[in-house]
Amino acid sequence: MSAQDKMIHVANRLGLSSLKDMQGSTRMVYDSITTAALTHTFFKGASQRAFPLTNVGANGNQFQVDEALLVEKIAFFVPSAADGIAYGGLNGVGVKFDLVIGNKTVIKDATVEFGGEQAFWNDGTVGSSVLDLEGVGILIPPQVEYYVVAKGYNTFSREAFSTRLGCYLFGTGALLNFNTTI
Amino acid sequence: MANQVSKLAYVDSKLGVSLPGQQTTRVIYDSVNAVAGQQFYEFFTNFAGKTEFQTNLTTNKLDSAESMVIKSVQIIMNSAVSNLSDHLNLNITVGNQVVLKDFDPSFNASSRGLSFDRLHSGYNGDTGKNLEVRLLTDIVIPPQVNFKATLQVSNALVALNDDITIVLKGYGRIFSAGNSF
Repeated sequence: MSAQDKMIHVANRLGLSSLKDMQGSTRMVYDSITTAALTHTFFKGASQRAFPLTNVGANGNQFQVDEALLVEKIAFFVPSAADGIAYGGLNGVGVKFDLVIGNKTVIKDATVEFGGEQAFWNDGTVGSSVLDLEGVGILIPPQVEYYVVAKGYNTFSREAFSTRLGCYLFGTGALLNFNTTI
Repeated sequence: MANQVSKLAYVDSKLGVSLPGQQTTRVIYDSVNAVAGQQFYEFFTNFAGKTEFQTNLTTNKLDSAESMVIKSVQIIMNSAVSNLSDHLNLNITVGNQVVLKDFDPSFNASSRGLSFDRLHSGYNGDTGKNLEVRLLTDIVIPPQVNFKATLQVSNALVALNDDITIVLKGYGRIFSAGNSF
């Protein structure tokens, strides 16, 4: 099953019959919180933050009508300062997280272990901070709230770690296309 | 899923473009000369006075019977003080339709372990001044339809006469009459 096939399949199951007519795209959303903390909740309340802290805009943590994202990769990054302009990889920090869509936890107690995918993905000489979702991915449908709850820890000592943190969700997307004259 | 050849043929036929054309690999680019502190750039809208290395188009549309599929987007920054490693916001519009929306390609700049895919992990040789993102969905630019790209950079470090270039790469079709004139 391709990414596009899964999007259409899930949309049909949810009664979203027009999603198949929308503009296919590559899409990513990110959110960052620049106050160091042990636990962060990303995307919830993100409409209160502006670029470059996030790119979700006024819609916040839900996509507008007939827009969707099939999440294929999740990564975490560390903002360098409070303005959120510059950022780096996890650099020794691990992240334990849940992805929640609507009322349902779709990824539970997963971790992005710093450098964990380095066995088959060496980004230059730096360990990976990205988790590839197994299978085709997970669809965030239109107008359904989603958020990520993440906790930082030291990858090596396994102790909780207070840090600034950011998160991106990347994958195949759909953008609203009216396909008719309004 | 349709491949790039059949998708381009499908979209062209829906738009009434019936000439066969020469299939090819297409690269189009446009470069913008910045003013100090500029944070918002528009590409493929102004071609006046640009050299052949700054842009290979003269108008913001492809010729009749020419079209292309955008497979990847490369951004290049020529600056002594700024780079592409900080957050960016890229939008690509074809006709009146946004086909790439609020996309942040900066994660593919430099080696930080944050790149979107394994094949195009960050290139650190030029300290974040050159990145490329492979798109997951083919985007078609049909013949004779306006298109543009806009880029917002989060840092205001760009200096006077710095250059930012966007390159769109992919599969395309160029005019071939198939007959003697």
